[in-house]
Amino acid sequence: MINFIDISKTFTMKKQQTNALDHVSLQVRAGDIFGVIGFSGAGKSTLLRMVNGLETPTGGRIEVDGQDINTLSFSELRQVRKRIGMIFQQFNLLNSKTVYDNIAIPLLLNRVGEKEIRARVSELLEFVGLSDKVNAYPNQLSGGQKQRVGIARALATNPSILLCDEATSALDPETTDSILRLLEKINRELKITILIVTHEIHVIQRICNKVAVMEHGRVIEWGSVLDVFSNPQQEITKKFVQTVIADKIPDSIVQKLNGDKRNYKILRLQFLGENVRDNVLYRINKDFDVETNILFASVNELQQTVLGIFVIQVIGESPEIERIMDYIRNQQLNWREVMI
Amino acid sequence: MMELGVPFSKIVLAAQQTIYMVSVSLAIGSVLAMIMAMTLVLTNDNGILKNKYVYTVLNTVINIIRSIPFIILMVFILPLTKEIVGTRVGTTAALVPLVVFIAPYLTRLFENSILEVDKGIVEAAQAMGASYFEIIWYFLLPEAYGSLILSVTIGTIGLIGATAMAGAIGAGGVGDLALTYGYERLNFPLMLFTVVVLILFVQIIQSFGNYFSSKVRNH
Repeated sequence: MINFIDISKTFTMKKQQTNALDHVSLQVRAGDIFGVIGFSGAGKSTLLRMVNGLETPTGGRIEVDGQDINTLSFSELRQVRKRIGMIFQQFNLLNSKTVYDNIAIPLLLNRVGEKEIRARVSELLEFVGLSDKVNAYPNQLSGGQKQRVGIARALATNPSILLCDEATSALDPETTDSILRLLEKINRELKITILIVTHEIHVIQRICNKVAVMEHGRVIEWGSVLDVFSNPQQEITKKFVQTVIADKIPDSIVQKLNGDKRNYKILRLQFLGENVRDNVLYRINKDFDVETNILFASVNELQQTVLGIFVIQVIGESPEIERIMDYIRNQQLNWREVMI
Repeated sequence: MMELGVPFSKIVLAAQQTIYMVSVSLAIGSVLAMIMAMTLVLTNDNGILKNKYVYTVLNTVINIIRSIPFIILMVFILPLTKEIVGTRVGTTAALVPLVVFIAPYLTRLFENSILEVDKGIVEAAQAMGASYFEIIWYFLLPEAYGSLILSVTIGTIGLIGATAMAGAIGAGGVGDLALTYGYERLNFPLMLFTVVVLILFVQIIQSFGNYFSSKVRNH
């Protein structure tokens, strides 16, 4: 649906070149809620703006529904833009116009008749839950309400793609959550593909099914949220994931372990959904001659799948611990030994 | 009523001339200024139609005209005036220098008003697939409206000042009345009268401007 093929973007400022994007390739499928995460300056907003031609690449190409965006004439590009909605961090509503007029603008641009506009606007306001604010001005609305107006405006022309540029970054956590629920509903009920750019990992965790991690203009890791979150490869990805899926042993426990003179190993076991048949922890305790101690445990839900992380201390003779590790290797679970 | 030393009809005529000069040159000047201001905003470094040559040329021309005092500008462009209206003297002849004077002035004011509009608005407009004209018409103008009203107000007051000098080329008007009858004939009551009338004029215009601008802005 959206295909980024080897995209590069180089800015030249005062004879100095900066690579905002460095050979980026990504595929967004129809129906995805695709999240791009990175710190500011990673190039993610530039990437997003290429989908509707607000930015043009200096290398590579972007295909939207098989159409190369950068070979289109200006009027063709404008037609494509009408099928791509966009919402912004700062909402970008017209302060001089009412909620009604703001949502009506894209319809006016499409030469839709007044009667039809009225029907469509009230339908959209109902969808985003703001029917009572039709005559309010943006200054009279809260941040969350403004973003709902922005969303209604973006949906007015029935787009097939919705671009979200840090759409929740100016909102408090509770409002963020309600906007994310709305985006999920848009994806599910209206079958709109959503591309989200954010620096907030919980946005990705909450609604995305795919994620790409960007750093210094490059995509360093991408795939399904389940894969990337359960098995992050890159340092920066691990850092992001750790803030929502904790797997760090608390410092006080680490200190205690440093004083522990017994023979032990620390194992990190990760359970994902139904993959694990055996009750591993129970078996270790029952079938082997060791003492176990749970140092850390967390259970998270991702994409309707449960991700459990246990860090256990196994105390006993070395051969017996080796046998346990052999047993674990035969289980279909993600595990590793943790060094302190 | 105070004895002013001139027939009342002369005062009325002077007022009519001033109003005529201000309103016609304001109308023509505003249209020209809006076109130039939009051109400047769209072609500047951050503009959506960035064009270094158009911007630099227009910007320089405006700066040059703005640096010439009105009284000098008026006599300097007399040949142009003759070319356009067929005469060098009179109220209508004054319209040419007044327009040449006020258009660049208003251009700068309008430019500032339009630049105040958040860049994000333009980006939202582009993302909706708006044409350049639609971006100006549906987004930039409505958002700049309140500020533009204030700019026109300031321009109008500047024009009233300029029309007083237009008396030098026989344009008549309130300023001319004060100079020829008030100053040169040492008629202090008339001088005082015109000054008071001008003050009232300016106050009323400014109040109207403020009122309408805040009405548009305070949503």
